[in-house]
Amino acid sequence: MKFLQCTFGVAASCAVLLSAAAAQTPASSPQAGNQIQQSTPSATKTYPPELVESGASLFRQDCSFCHGRDATGGETGPNLTHSRLVRSDVDGDQIGPVIRNGRPDKGMPPFDRSDQQIASLVAFIHAQQYAQSGGKGGRKGVDASDLQTGNAEAGKKYFEGAGGCAHCHSPTGDLAGIASRYKGLELEQNMLYPRHAKSKVIVVLPSGETVTGTLAYRDEFTIALTDSSGTYRSWRTRDVQYKVDAPANAHVEQFSKYTDEDIHNLMAYLQTLQ
Amino acid sequence: MMSRVGRVFLLAISVLVASTSLPAQQPDNQMLLHPPADSWPGYHGDYSGRRHSSLTQVTPRNVKNLTLAWSFQTNQTIPLKSSPLLVDGILYFTAPDNVWAVDARSGHQIWRFTYPRGQGEHIGQRGVGMYKGSVFFLTPDAHLICLNAKDGSVRWKVEVADVSKGYWTSMAPLVVGSHVLIGVSGDFDNLAGFLRAVDPETGATQWQWDSTLPAGTPNETTGGMTWMTGTYDPDLNLVYWGTGNPTPVLNGSTRPGDDPYTCSIVALNPDTGKLVWAFQASPHDTHDWDAVETPVLVDGDFHGKPHKMLMQSSRNGYFFVLDRTNGKSLLTVPFGTLNWSLGVDKQARPIPNPEKEPAPDGRLIAPDEGGMTNYRSPSFDTKTGLFIVSANLGWGIYFSKPADGLYGWSGADYGVWGTGVIEAIDYQTGKIRWRHELGEESGAGVLTTDSGLTFTGDAHGNFLALDSNDGKTLWHAGSGSHITSSPITYQLDGRQYVVTSSGGVLFAWSLPEP
Repeated sequence: MKFLQCTFGVAASCAVLLSAAAAQTPASSPQAGNQIQQSTPSATKTYPPELVESGASLFRQDCSFCHGRDATGGETGPNLTHSRLVRSDVDGDQIGPVIRNGRPDKGMPPFDRSDQQIASLVAFIHAQQYAQSGGKGGRKGVDASDLQTGNAEAGKKYFEGAGGCAHCHSPTGDLAGIASRYKGLELEQNMLYPRHAKSKVIVVLPSGETVTGTLAYRDEFTIALTDSSGTYRSWRTRDVQYKVDAPANAHVEQFSKYTDEDIHNLMAYLQTLQ
Repeated sequence: MMSRVGRVFLLAISVLVASTSLPAQQPDNQMLLHPPADSWPGYHGDYSGRRHSSLTQVTPRNVKNLTLAWSFQTNQTIPLKSSPLLVDGILYFTAPDNVWAVDARSGHQIWRFTYPRGQGEHIGQRGVGMYKGSVFFLTPDAHLICLNAKDGSVRWKVEVADVSKGYWTSMAPLVVGSHVLIGVSGDFDNLAGFLRAVDPETGATQWQWDSTLPAGTPNETTGGMTWMTGTYDPDLNLVYWGTGNPTPVLNGSTRPGDDPYTCSIVALNPDTGKLVWAFQASPHDTHDWDAVETPVLVDGDFHGKPHKMLMQSSRNGYFFVLDRTNGKSLLTVPFGTLNWSLGVDKQARPIPNPEKEPAPDGRLIAPDEGGMTNYRSPSFDTKTGLFIVSANLGWGIYFSKPADGLYGWSGADYGVWGTGVIEAIDYQTGKIRWRHELGEESGAGVLTTDSGLTFTGDAHGNFLALDSNDGKTLWHAGSGSHITSSPITYQLDGRQYVVTSSGGVLFAWSLPEP
């Protein structure tokens, strides 16, 4: 399938046809249990073809390098058609702010765009989400069903043994129900590296007083934390001693130790923790 | 009939006019070959790509006093990715669809050219090329524009490639002799890559070298895009260029074999475009690892013998040292953790591990798709013999399944984690002499100077001046945004300036005025 054909001319009609079809055909394939819930309000709403088309054009210019021509992911940027935020978006209330503010922590710049331009991008993204979510074949991105090649028993052994996971994690403790909270690629990504995990930091002031808290910022020159009362405090690194405890580092150390089979087995095991 | 007096008078007038006629318009070939201290006439500064300056006014001792001379704000959200050019006291720099000419003394705008927004990816613009008063600028919709350097008016415009097929253009043209060398971008479609030379007066094509064959050629690859600017050796009369990855990107099943000339460093004759030699940094790549990083030209000893060398810190994680007269390998060594190769072959090219090709259930790969390094310029410091690169030590997961098709990306990949670090590599061994941590992502490109300074940036938008001998920080300034460019330096009015950018702002730094 030529990206450009679908994106530039046919996407509009694709979106209209698929929206009509989906209104009548609930997801009923054997894999439905693993698939992300499809019938959200934004996925079934239809957008005017001209709006989707002008959105496709603007998407190519501004977004496609990172997110792919059809929004399923390109260089460095995520697949928007499988995005939690896009699924919960209603008429751009979630997508609009991301476009306007960017995601500085993730390398997405802000885009100064008019309301009309934002609306066209929102229409295109939803049309693509819709086009990607109908049926088998031609679908890009990673489905939960792609990630089922491991063995749960082997994964459990790895978790308790060579993987070292049991040092910090427990299937009945912090990981109880993890597979209900995260599914598919999102589960695997967090398993490999939990980017939301917070680090702790202990700062020792020249007076000898220690201050502890959650790491808020660190570069070569400044260290900052939020303390137990939620107050942000920072110091020049040259003025204090500090020690950071980053539990997520244990995940980094594991990268060079995993085989791909270990990763798939671990995924299989974690998915049993519903 | 004119009298004798009249003829003498006319002769005198014409001699007067000739001697007061405009000076040779810059940059001319002399300036491009031997850039004076008050110039930066091409993307890399000079033809070598070393990004190393002989200026010594700013030193490790006084750099702590470096201060803001002026800044220029584009008032745009798009981050600046270009290296500015400095010619005759004027800085020329770009963003997609935009060229600014700014007074290098004051930071005031002289003119601005804005191209009507058209199709094509607006992901970045690396800068202009210049020759004899003309400015050459590539647009997202794959056109080459020639502007009058005096006022930004358009002299001519030519189409480089068909944007509707998926091409776009973003690189900074390189002027060699009377040839303007331009390259193309685009790997979301299965497109043939090429390098083209055009006439600086008219834009007419002089020659084209094709890196790959047209789409549809059985068992052959497309891709090999010429994303970045190459380098030139005037004694050997060879231009050196890196080419991009093959397409389809993550699925190599339709393109068995090495996939020449993708992910390659090639040597071409700039007058004819004829291929003289090629070295492949990533045979049969399936990870989007272009080999378009600067082919840095260094003359020096290698293990006791003088060599004309070419060095590249490549996206795939390998540091290559080649003999640039014939493309033979002198050294191939990783400059960070990589897990995708089975070692190197007899020609010292990496052997890709089939077990680490993208798969339906994913493969954990180091480096990540962004690569061990990327567009950020490295620098070769001739004083210390160190090759200094802005690296990213990262891991990603790569997926590809039949349903992803055989067109364009053909799969998906996701970064898992990475850390930015400046590495100073001993080019004769590949050993890393010193490292400077940058934070959770990569920083800026690198510039070095003869006084022993390394200018770069970290992951948090801090501009940094480091000691080239040990990497220690000697000066910094928080820029307030991400740095997505490589620094330049020049001398004007007896003052050395270092010019950097971050977000949509250009900063000029110098020591305080006495």
